[in-house]
Amino acid sequence: MAVIELRDVRHDYGDRTVLELPSFTLAAGDRVAIVGHNGSGKSTLLRLLALLETPATGVVLVRGRPVTGSRARRAARRRITLVEQRPVLFRGTVRDNLAYGLRARGVRGLALDRAVVATAERIGVTTLLMRRRSELSDGEIQRVAVARALATEPELLLLDEPASSADRAAVTALHAALESARRDWQVGICLASHQLEDAYRWADDIRALADGRLSPVTPENLFRATLPAAASGNVRQVDVGGVTLAVMTDRTGPAILAVPPTDILVSTAPIASSARNALAGRVTRVARVRPDGGVHVTADVGVELTAVVTEDAVRELALAPGRTVVLSFKASAVRVF
Amino acid sequence: MDHRGRRVDFLAEGLRRALALIVGGDRELYGSAALTLRVAVAATGVACALGIPAGFALAGRRFWGRRVALVVVNTALAVPTVVLGLVVYGLLSRRGPLGTIDWLYTWQAIVVGDVLLALPIAVALSAAAVEGVDPRIRRTALTLGAGRWRTAWTVAREARFALAAVVTAAFGRVIAEVGAAMIVGGNIRGETRTLTTGVALFTAQGDFGTALALGAVLLALALFVNLALQALQGHGRD
Repeated sequence: MAVIELRDVRHDYGDRTVLELPSFTLAAGDRVAIVGHNGSGKSTLLRLLALLETPATGVVLVRGRPVTGSRARRAARRRITLVEQRPVLFRGTVRDNLAYGLRARGVRGLALDRAVVATAERIGVTTLLMRRRSELSDGEIQRVAVARALATEPELLLLDEPASSADRAAVTALHAALESARRDWQVGICLASHQLEDAYRWADDIRALADGRLSPVTPENLFRATLPAAASGNVRQVDVGGVTLAVMTDRTGPAILAVPPTDILVSTAPIASSARNALAGRVTRVARVRPDGGVHVTADVGVELTAVVTEDAVRELALAPGRTVVLSFKASAVRVF
Repeated sequence: MDHRGRRVDFLAEGLRRALALIVGGDRELYGSAALTLRVAVAATGVACALGIPAGFALAGRRFWGRRVALVVVNTALAVPTVVLGLVVYGLLSRRGPLGTIDWLYTWQAIVVGDVLLALPIAVALSAAAVEGVDPRIRRTALTLGAGRWRTAWTVAREARFALAAVVTAAFGRVIAEVGAAMIVGGNIRGETRTLTTGVALFTAQGDFGTALALGAVLLALALFVNLALQALQGHGRD
């Protein structure tokens, strides 16, 4: 059963709708990443999932039960814990901070000490236990905040940009600690990141958020655009930051466009085909981040577009940064939402 | 003797008399000081006990009528003490709604007046203190499973310097107050004569030396309490 489920949730700040989700579910043991640009609604979504904010409309269910009223919210918060992007520590020592959530749950004495020490060892903050917040670096504060959240053994841990204030080694250590927690009590982990590569490294379920809505297809190649009226038929020429895409849709007005990376054909020269979009540019990045072995080839064609190709294709076409390529895809491949 | 010489004599004589009263341990002087301290501590305690939680509620929640409540509190900050004294007098006088408790012209009546004076300060400043705390502190306490009281305590610990300033400001308002104390206390010798009402009385009677002595003790008292509060603020690391 899902730990938490959002149904038909909409959230507003003043007159502005910042989040609109027909459905969003997280279960125990999940490794989910929410990706999106700054302002896409990631942090708001995490705060809704952490039950720190109440949606304007819609239902939040925890373990199948609707959460209504402050008592139910408090009970639900004991299952789900959020670590904010720039976390703060409370006054006192690191040890006091690690003990905070446990004390709130009535844990005292030896059991408290044992839990604090075990968590400190798991995250690697044992040497920091007697330090105070003013004596810690940003990266250390981040690790202590994750330790403080994990100490309560939540069913779901929400992390907002966990790699933002840590170096590469610290991120790897954090990842290992989270994996050990998943093994021990099946904690579900949901993190928000604006970097897709981080998301691939951390999670096996990636959900893209753009302007408060979930992309139905892909976290890559998302563009905000205004759809003009079609000159003829349903194919529109849509400007996305200096590049014109042919898009098959009957919609007009503001929308998000998504080009699935698996629908993009990579060639080293223009090819005669039915694809209405053929964009020339140079490869900027080749990344092997996907769990299925596919390779991400990103090219600058006026905007950055990412295609997924096989390892064989990378070798045969000699795809490497600087290589001239043509990216082709059909007008009907562009998803509009 | 010229006018200037007489003026110097008047001041010097006043100072001499004040010193004699202070050093000589004058019973009436120190009785007034003890009463002033008792009234101020009691009124500050009650005002802060009521006002700080109210300030938390005003700052922490968005409820219907919050804006009106803030306007009322901020307006109450500027209420003249004599007007407030009149209101309390009306409430406590024999024919008033609280006449049966028979508190008019007692030190408790002065406490009631002082509480009403210090309460808006405690509410307004503690609301500002809580609003000054990083909102992530409250969110973090909640997400770690803290209940309402533990969350409030955590926020209060972060705002401790500002909250100590609330106590200092409330105490300062109460200890310096004269109008309401005069009206509801009656300035009765040995019973409701505080240092401030004493200063007013002796100055009016031309006993400049006694008024000066009372004023000096009042200043010393305020200094002592403020130093004690500052020492408390400085106690404890981050």
